[in-house]
Amino acid sequence: MATYKVDERDVHFNIFEYLNIKELTAYDKYKDQNEELYKMILNEGLKFALSEFDPLYVAGDREECHMKDGVVIVPKGYKEAYAKFAENGFVGIDTPPTYGGQGLPCMINTATMEFFTGSNVPLLLYAGLSRGVANILEAFGSPELCQAFCANLYNGKWSGTMCLTEPQAGSAVGDIRTSAKKNADGTYTITGNKLFITGGDQNLTENIIHTVLARVEGDAPGTKGISLFLVPKIWVKPDGTLGERNDVNCVNVEHKMGIKASATCTLNFGEEGKCRGFLIGEQSRGMKMMFQMMNEARLMCGVQGEALAATAYENALAYAKERIQGANTAIINYPNVRRELALCKAWVEGMRGLLYLTGKSIDLAHGHPDDTIKEKAKNRVELLTPICKAYCSDVGFKITEMALQIYGGYGYVSEYPIEQYMRDVKIASIYEGANGIQALDLMGRKLASKAGQLFREFYEDLTQFVASQEGNTELKNEISALKKAIDTVAQVAMKIAEWGMSGEKTKPMLSANYFLELTGHTTLAYILLDQARVAQAAISNGSKDSFYRNKIRTARFFVAHVLPMVQMRAKNILSEDLSSIEMEF
Amino acid sequence: MKIAVLVKQVPDTETKIVINANKNGIDESNIKYIVSPYDEYAIEEAIKIGGETTVISMGPDRCIESIRTALAMGIQKAIHIDTQGKSYDSYQTAAALAKVIKDGGFDLVLTGKQGIDYDNGQVTQMAAELSGASQVMVIDKLTINGDKAKVERRIAGGSKEVYESGFPLFLGCEKGLNTPRYASLPGIMKAKSKPIEKKSADELLGGATALVEFTNFELPPERAAGKRIEGEPPQQAAQLVKLLREEAKVI
Ligand SMILES: Cc1cc2nc3c(=O)[nH]c(=O)nc-3n(C[C@H](O)[C@H](O)[C@H](O)COP(=O)(O)OP(=O)(O)OC[C@H]3O[C@@H](n4cnc5c(N)ncnc54)[C@H](O)[C@@H]3O)c2cc1C
Repeated sequence: MATYKVDERDVHFNIFEYLNIKELTAYDKYKDQNEELYKMILNEGLKFALSEFDPLYVAGDREECHMKDGVVIVPKGYKEAYAKFAENGFVGIDTPPTYGGQGLPCMINTATMEFFTGSNVPLLLYAGLSRGVANILEAFGSPELCQAFCANLYNGKWSGTMCLTEPQAGSAVGDIRTSAKKNADGTYTITGNKLFITGGDQNLTENIIHTVLARVEGDAPGTKGISLFLVPKIWVKPDGTLGERNDVNCVNVEHKMGIKASATCTLNFGEEGKCRGFLIGEQSRGMKMMFQMMNEARLMCGVQGEALAATAYENALAYAKERIQGANTAIINYPNVRRELALCKAWVEGMRGLLYLTGKSIDLAHGHPDDTIKEKAKNRVELLTPICKAYCSDVGFKITEMALQIYGGYGYVSEYPIEQYMRDVKIASIYEGANGIQALDLMGRKLASKAGQLFREFYEDLTQFVASQEGNTELKNEISALKKAIDTVAQVAMKIAEWGMSGEKTKPMLSANYFLELTGHTTLAYILLDQARVAQAAISNGSKDSFYRNKIRTARFFVAHVLPMVQMRAKNILSEDLSSIEMEF
Repeated sequence: MKIAVLVKQVPDTETKIVINANKNGIDESNIKYIVSPYDEYAIEEAIKIGGETTVISMGPDRCIESIRTALAMGIQKAIHIDTQGKSYDSYQTAAALAKVIKDGGFDLVLTGKQGIDYDNGQVTQMAAELSGASQVMVIDKLTINGDKAKVERRIAGGSKEVYESGFPLFLGCEKGLNTPRYASLPGIMKAKSKPIEKKSADELLGGATALVEFTNFELPPERAAGKRIEGEPPQQAAQLVKLLREEAKVI
């Protein structure tokens, strides 16, 4: 039974109407592309997700990954589906065409990733990491490394991993102990243990290319002294064929709450002192490079939150129309169920808007001919990344939970896919930097970055939007509610800056999660109202499509039911209450 | 060998169909169109056989999307028979297609066994007849040996018919013939710049007039709620017979 469901109309609305992807085709980078091409790719992506990813989703969860004779075995069908996925060119949709990427806009990648993640997130993760490794090599690796590894990461013969975490170094990446020592031939000997490594071992691909954070002996402690290495599971000979096994061993695969078809592995590097790797880029610059990969991965965590929430919502909606309870009434007719469905819908559409908008900012940052616009787009991506990651994964989990509630007892049992969506989405708030760390990133780094410029530009854009809607009588109240929220965000930001200047450390850290949340609510309200504006224009151009009417209702609902939480979170922060610090636990 | 694949663009099976105001067709706004699924078997088979392959589709401009899908899967050339806003019945469609096929000198013409929109299942046979070629419908196996094709089709009771035929030959393809490939991203990128030859449906028709006219469209009645029969199998059977006799009045 097919479980994956998505509102394709809303995906197309975002890409072709709200964010008008056509704009991009005026830039050199995308000049050979057009809307017809983008439509075909979205269609093929969705078709592939429905026919190859979705059918393996539930079965893979039940079968899980397991170890046999020292190798991790993935569930049935995953190997074939992965090969087909790569063969069809889906691994590097928006990476450069040099070694096998497709050179398409990030917006298109974001939409197709919604389909693949929503239909089978554990399977997609193997591809996401392969793409990440290829892309990091393309950005920082030597031509020799690119030549040797990138093509096979894109074509699915090999896959990639990202090895940061160690038992004592989770959020505190600076505490890693894995070490590297230069050999006479220019390679490095790597020694250490890595934990929770996604795709760390598997029988999907014939080789695995690990990227490993390690410290060259004698380098500075903390994040400053970390370098990045490429460590193949099987050594690759100069002619490209596979040689001897490298000294990397998987010693455990975790049993866990969700994404059970994704192998989460414990890896030992250099048990016999014979693990070799290549330095990527410059020594001691590992964190900077890893951040590039992580920023992408963080956006994908946001997509995971949104995509699973979206399919959970669509499933709950279909169920609510069919489930009869009392007086021959389908439960969708009960006001509380409608309200819950509306919350799911508004949040999902808002998050989709946020993620695709961030995708577009990435495209502008890469492809726009004007340097100031490029720069501004880059700033926007920086600012929105922690919001995409943390807000969408937290809200995504909340929505899968709400969708489950709509199913009642049927949601709690595993006959329906809802409980799996809820289990599978949870990890998105933990990996790639736990959400608490994202909140600190937004507040500590992004807010202060370039003397507040990122935030100022964002504030100005939102304020300008409000001003431009002065004559919008239909949404007058909603626009003024947004204005109030924007002012509140600014007021809280001022307070945080004040704390910063006076050297106050505890209060900002206490407030970081709240600040991320209220900025997220405000951003979504802005996006949904901007989408409502596009819908209003379509209606006044004579469209009778009920989709547009609903867009206006969605924005109105969000402003009434979610946006007020901005004021509440602001109150939490401005209370400057310290009792959790004083409390004796 | 010169192979033509006839492809029809149809509404996606998931699309909600709305009947237009004149009740002589469907409202085409907000419909997602796809390549008729049986045509995908025809496309795949043509690519597998190889030689010179051409996709032919008759319809409005939007069907270029389906032509591009066939090109992206691996078909080499394309002809779009533009209907320019007019609609034609199966006979006229067959006549226009037959003209293009005869002019093009195709040896093998592969089609789906039927379009999944109107389910008429007529165009292939008529076009074959009009172009003086043989035809076999609903085939699920094809082997070509020099100037002969051997095809199989399943018939009732689990048996199959086996045909051998020379060319030109029209074949209506059924599920099971092969597994259609996806249009890969590199394939899609390449297909976007392949030329599509355009022809006018009106000109090709040479005056053939419609034999069928649509006068009224209605949605099927909503399915009534089902009935669940409880109890042990003997009681269930008895109850079922009773219902079939008294309520459904079919026995
Ligand atoms: C299924 C799965 C897959 C994973 N895949 C990978 C992978 O492929 N590669 C990889 O390297 N790692 C991977 N991880 C590890 C993951 O990134 C870490 O679990 C995560 O970074 C958190 O680290 P931790 O588990 O040690 O938690 P801790 O760091 O112990 O954090 C526990 C809690 O404390 C909070 N906290 C910690 N430090 C601070 C601070 N300074 N300020 C405020 N709050 C703080 C956190 O927000 C969190 O809520 C994976 C984990 C799982 C479960």
